[in-house]
Amino acid sequence: MATARPGWSRRAQYGLFFSFIAVIGGIVVGVILLGVSVVAPRTFAGIRGAALDITGPITTGLSEVTATAGGLVSGAGDYWNAAHQNAELKRQNKAMLQRMVEAKAIIQENRQLKATLQLRERTERTVAVGRIVGSSFNSPRRFAILAAGTRDGVRVGMPVRSAEGMVGRIVDAGVLASRVLLVSDRSSIVPSRLLRGGIPVISQGRGDGTVDVRPLEVGRNPFKRGDIIITSGTGGLYPPLVPIARVVKLDDDGAVAIPLADPANTSFAIVEPAYEPAAIAAEAEANGEGP
Amino acid sequence: MVRAALSSRRIGQGPIPGATWIPAASVVAASLLAALPIVSHSGWYPDFGYLALIGWRLLRSDPWPAWWAAPLGLINDLFTGYPIGFSVALWSATMLALDLVDRRTMWRDYWIEWVLAAVFLFIHQWLGWRVARAAGVDLPFVSLLPPLVISVFVFPAAAWIVSRIDRWRLGR
Repeated sequence: MATARPGWSRRAQYGLFFSFIAVIGGIVVGVILLGVSVVAPRTFAGIRGAALDITGPITTGLSEVTATAGGLVSGAGDYWNAAHQNAELKRQNKAMLQRMVEAKAIIQENRQLKATLQLRERTERTVAVGRIVGSSFNSPRRFAILAAGTRDGVRVGMPVRSAEGMVGRIVDAGVLASRVLLVSDRSSIVPSRLLRGGIPVISQGRGDGTVDVRPLEVGRNPFKRGDIIITSGTGGLYPPLVPIARVVKLDDDGAVAIPLADPANTSFAIVEPAYEPAAIAAEAEANGEGP
Repeated sequence: MVRAALSSRRIGQGPIPGATWIPAASVVAASLLAALPIVSHSGWYPDFGYLALIGWRLLRSDPWPAWWAAPLGLINDLFTGYPIGFSVALWSATMLALDLVDRRTMWRDYWIEWVLAAVFLFIHQWLGWRVARAAGVDLPFVSLLPPLVISVFVFPAAAWIVSRIDRWRLGR
C-alpha cells in the first residue's frame, strides 16, 4: 500500500482499501486493549502469565550461562590477584552489617511488643525461593523476572525479599516464572520507618534504581546519610522489619536512598506469604497496582 | 569469450524458502530479546521489536501486510511486559503513518530515514510516558530522554542488521 493507486486492477484497489481498513481496525483494537489494561490491569493476568512461562525458562537458562561465565571470570580474577581472602573478608563484613541491622530491628521489635503486649504469633515461612533472572530493561517501569511461579506456590501480591532486604512484590504470576514490582518502581509505595528512632516514613521508587523517602510528619528533615530504612508493616502488604534502603543523599524535605537488595546481584530471592491476606484481597478489589 | 551472466556466481540464486515470513519472524525475534537476562536499574535499553519494525518498514514498503503490525505488537506487549495494547495501537499507527509519509516525501536518503526513525522513537517514548502516567506512575519527563537518545543511536545498527537479513532472504 505504498502508492495511492496500485493501477487499473479493481482487485488491487480493493485489496489496498481493505488493508487500510484492517490497519485502522488494528489501531482501534489496540487503543481499546490499552484502555482496558490501564483501567483494569488484572484483566489480562492469564495471558500475561502464559507469556511469562514462554520467556521465563529462556531467561533462566541464559542467566545460568552468564552467571557461570561471570563466576569463572571473577573466580579466576580473585585467584590471579590472590585476593580471595579479601573477597572472603568483604563477604563477612557484609554479613556482619546485616546481622547488626537485624539485631537493632529485633531490639526495637521487642520494645514495641513489651509496650503493647499484643503478642500475636506469626509464622514466618517461605513460599518459594527463586533467582532474579531478568528485568523490564526497555521500559520506564521497574519489574524483575523471578524464576518461580504458581507451581511453587507464588501468588499475585506476595512480598519478595532477599537476604539483604526487600525486593518488591509479585504482580504477574505464570506457572514457571513471575514478575516482581521492584521497590524502585515509581508506583511502589512502601510504608516504612527509620531504623534510628523509628520515625514513620514513606518510601516511593524513583524509577532509576533509587527510592525517595519522606517523613510522614512535616517538619525537620529527620534523615542522615547512612540511615537504614526498614519496613513498618503498616497496611499489611509488606512484612515489618525488613531492611529496604540506605540513605545516600538529603534533599529539602526528604532523602534519596539506595535499595539494600540490589536485584542485579541478588542471587536468591525469597517469596513470603502475604503478610495480611485481607489487605491484599482488598487491594486486588480496588484494582491497585498493575503493570 | 565467456558471457558476463555466466561468469558471475549468482546463477540459481533467488529468494530462500519462506522469504515472505522472514521480516515478521525477525521482528518477533527482536521482541524476544526482552528475555535476555539483563537486570537493569534504569530501563534505558531500546525497544528492540519497535526498532526492527521501523527498520523493515523504512527499508521496504511491503515487508508484511500492514495489518500484521497488530498481532506483532501484541507479541511484543506480552514479551516485554508493556501494558497490553500499547504496541498493538502504536505499531498499527506507525504502519499507517509511514504509508502517508511515503506519499509525501519527494526523495529518500539515509538522513531523512534516520530523522523519521527519531520522530517515531520519540512518539514511542512519549506515549509510553503518557500511558505510565495514566496508570498512576508519575515519572518526570526528563527520565525518557536518555532511553530516547540511546534508541536513536542504536537505530542505524538495527537498520543495518535488517538490510543484511533482507539481502540474505532475497539471495542477493
